[in-house]
Order: sequence, then structure tokens, then C-alpha cells
Amino acid sequence: MRLAVERLRVKRGGRTILADFALEVKAGEIVGLVGKNGCGKTTLLSAIAGVLAPSDGRITVDGASVWGARSERQRARRSLGYVPETADPPGFLLGTELWSLCAASRGANPPSEALRAALGLDELREIAIERMSLGQRRRACLGAALVGPPPLLVLDEPDNGLDAKRLDAIVTLLKEHADNDGATVMASHDAALLEQLGARIVTMNVVT
Amino acid sequence: MIVPATRRAAAVWVGSALVGALIFGQNAMHPSDLTWLALHNLGVGGVLGLTWLLVFVPTARLLIRGDGASYLRSLPGPRLAAKGIGLAALVVLQLPWLLLWTIGEGAVGLGVVAAGTVAIVVLASWKPPVMRATWPGWKADGTALRAVHLRALRRRAGDALVRGAGLSILAGAGAGLFVHNNELVDMDAAVVGASVMAVVLVPAEVGVLLVILTTHRQTAWLASSLGISQATRLAAVVYAIALVQLAATVIAIGAVALVSKPDHGTLLWIAGTSLAVALGSSLGCARVLLSAEDSPTVAARVVVGSTAIAALAVLCLGLFHELGVGAFLAACVLAIATVKVPR
Repeated sequence: MRLAVERLRVKRGGRTILADFALEVKAGEIVGLVGKNGCGKTTLLSAIAGVLAPSDGRITVDGASVWGARSERQRARRSLGYVPETADPPGFLLGTELWSLCAASRGANPPSEALRAALGLDELREIAIERMSLGQRRRACLGAALVGPPPLLVLDEPDNGLDAKRLDAIVTLLKEHADNDGATVMASHDAALLEQLGARIVTMNVVT
Repeated sequence: MIVPATRRAAAVWVGSALVGALIFGQNAMHPSDLTWLALHNLGVGGVLGLTWLLVFVPTARLLIRGDGASYLRSLPGPRLAAKGIGLAALVVLQLPWLLLWTIGEGAVGLGVVAAGTVAIVVLASWKPPVMRATWPGWKADGTALRAVHLRALRRRAGDALVRGAGLSILAGAGAGLFVHNNELVDMDAAVVGASVMAVVLVPAEVGVLLVILTTHRQTAWLASSLGISQATRLAAVVYAIALVQLAATVIAIGAVALVSKPDHGTLLWIAGTSLAVALGSSLGCARVLLSAEDSPTVAARVVVGSTAIAALAVLCLGLFHELGVGAFLAACVLAIATVKVPR
């Protein structure tokens, strides 16, 4: 698994957020994006996840472009699991339905017993996402991102709203993912978490 | 509490006005003819009463179980004023029903409205049981996305669907009366029947269309990051709209059959034509939804767009008869084929 971001340029509302940005993440690696608010961490992760179209540059997952032709795009995006900063899937969906949608799209089985136990997903099975707390929504989204699991994880502040027990579980899950040659690129303001994960830190700066 | 209920009742008023214009305008029926028939013919009375229950219960639910009503009940102080206002709104918002019965039967009509209001309050107070979740057996993204739209309809558009079922009966009844009173048969009956249904079903569909659009928007980031193609997303939207339109049309056809009692050939013409129009309208409405997707005035655009599609159907049928069905379908297929697909 290899994620390559080359000469990436992204504009939002007429403002250039990322300019000529480059990043490479190899199999078994965890990369932590850090930087001031507004430096483009969320924008970068959205572009990598296929949600926000870049104005220029290239993002590839194992050589397949995330923004390329249809089949290539599909191959790239099915190789990644994404947790957005807002963690806001449709509110009427139950936990089981969110995970089943992700499993069907990736051609994978529903979350394993180990994953359900680590993130406490069983207690969220019958709860509508709109009725979950922020921490519960984050766990539900992490469960959705990890269904499969896909070789690349794109996580935007995955620790936001989680208690200590679930934070430990995330550290274990992400380390196991890396041990199995998976890659993770994540944004977080928690330096201790990134250190615990042994993440390679990439500092982003605001484009002037 | 009153304002959202009035907004919800507006669609019922529009639907009732359209059917009222057809029944009491062109055919010169008086409200008393209909109310007399309803009081002396169990079938007509049952259909009329059931239709009103279906179309008005969603509005009543807002007055009885809506967030605003719950908030008012939670406030300290006397509850009598809030209850009085709620009850008055419950009666006043039934304006078309109230007018029909008071003009038709006077004091007896008021009694009928009062008895109906009690039934409406009982139905609107009912709370459906919570359903247990099971693991959905979705095997492909298209199946999953279509199922997500169906869940959105069930959980978000329940009231709009109930109201839509009532308006569908009204649409069919209006179309049936038109066909019956003008002694129309075969394609002539189909042209008039399908045209009436297409127009009267517009207020029945708008609420549901907005729920489908919201679901389409909310699943956008999830679908993009999961690699679900735009074609699959578009197909899911068309599927959800078509399901609702076809179901509404089937209900309306049933009402036509009951009201006008046409011969088999005429009923087949009406059913075939109106189902084809419903299918075309689904494609046209999907086009309207997707073009209005990012607009700040999405609700208004959906109403105008749906009305324009119904008008196009009437125009095609009126001008070209049998060929008009094909022309309308072709126009709607062309409309959906020209949707701009983002990456």
C-alpha cells in the first residue's frame, strides 16, 4: 500500500488552501498531520478521501488515482476508510446500517467481533446516528472506516470526543493495522496520541 | 406549533382545491350532493372519510405530538390556553373539510367534522412501536444505497407518505368523476384521467421529494469516499422517486376504478397511460431535484419543477394522445440523460 500526493492544489471559496503540497505514506506507516487551525489538514484529508476535488495535482493509492477515470477512481476509493472531522453520516441510519453500507461498498463482511468489542459497537447497533453523542458518532464512523479493513485509513481527528478507554483501543487498532501493512494518515491536535502511535509527523503551514 | 402545521396543511388545501375545482366547478355539483351521498352510501362515505383521515392526520400529529406542542406542555402554568389554541387550530386547519360539510349539511355537517376530529386526535396520538435492528444483508453498493433511501422515506417521510396516500385517493376520485361524468372511454378517458392525476399528485409528492433530496445530499460524502459512482447514486434517487410515484398512481387508479366503474378496456388504457406518465415524471422529478441540489431555494424549485413536469405531461397527452405518452417519456429520459455528473 502506498499513498502518493503530488503537487496538490486545492481552493475553497476562491482561497487557495493547499499549494503544491506533496506527501508519501508507505505500507505500515502512520502519518500525523499537525499545524495551526486553517492550515489545510481537513482539506487535504477530504481530497485524499475523494470528497473534495482538487484544482490541480494528483492523489494515488497504489497507483490508482483518487480523482482519475471511473474504474481507477473506484479502485482507489475502495482501498480507503475515511472518518471526517464532523462525523456526520445521515442521522436516520442505525449503526448496523452504516456499517453494512460500508461493507457492501467494499465487498467486505460486517465488522468483526474483535472490532465491535474494541470500539464498543454492539451498544450502538440499534441507535440512530442523530441520537448518538459526539463520541458515539466518532466510534460509529471509526467502525465504518475500519470495516474490511481497507489498506489506507484517512482519519480527521479520530480522537475527538473519545474517552480514555476508547483512545487506548484506537491506538491498538491503528498499530495492528500498521503491523498488517496498512497505512494511516491522520490529523490530530493530540501530540501524546501521535507519539503513542509512533507516527511520522508532517507539519503543515498556512498558505500565504 | 401553528406555523409548521399550517405549512403542512397547505399541501392538503392545494390538493383539495384542485379536486374541488374539478368536482364542483366543471361538473356543477353542489357540496350537498357529495355530503348527501357520503351520508347515505356507506362506500362513498367510507372512502371520503378515510381519505380525509389520511390527508389530515400528519398535520394533526404536528399539533399534538410535534416538538412545539411538547415544549408548550412542558411549560409551567395553566395548560388550558395551549390546549384551546391547539384544538382551534385542529378544526380551522381542516378548512376544506369544514367548508364541504357546513355548506353541504349545516349543523349536521359540523357534527360530522367534530366526530372526525375525535378520530383524527386518536390516530395522531398513536405512537408506533420501536423496530428492532437487524444486520441488513446488502451485497452491493447500489442495493445498499436504494435501501438507505427507503429507510429515509420510512423514517423521515412517514407523514408525507400518509398524506400522499390520501391525496392519491383524491386524485383518483377526481379523475374518476371526470371520466364518468363526461362518459369518456378508452384513450380519451386515459388522456383526461392521467392528466388529472398528474396535476393533483403534485402536492402529494413534493414533501417526499424533499426527503429524497436531503438523503441524496447527506449521503454525498459517504458515497464519494466509498467509491460509489454517480450513476449508482442517480439510479438510487430515481428508484426512490419512481417507487413513490408508481405507488401513488396505483392508489389513484384504484380510486378511479371505484368511482367511475369503467369497462376493462378503458381501465387498462387509464392504468397504462397513468403508470407511464408516473414513470416519466419520476425521471423528470429526479432531474429537477439534482439541478436544484445546491440551490438555496430548493423547496420552491422542487415545487415549480414538479408542477412544470405535470404540465408537460398534460400538454403532451392533450396534443398527441397515445403518441404523447411516448413524447413525454422521451422528454423525461432526455432530461435525466443531461444531468451533469460531478466526479
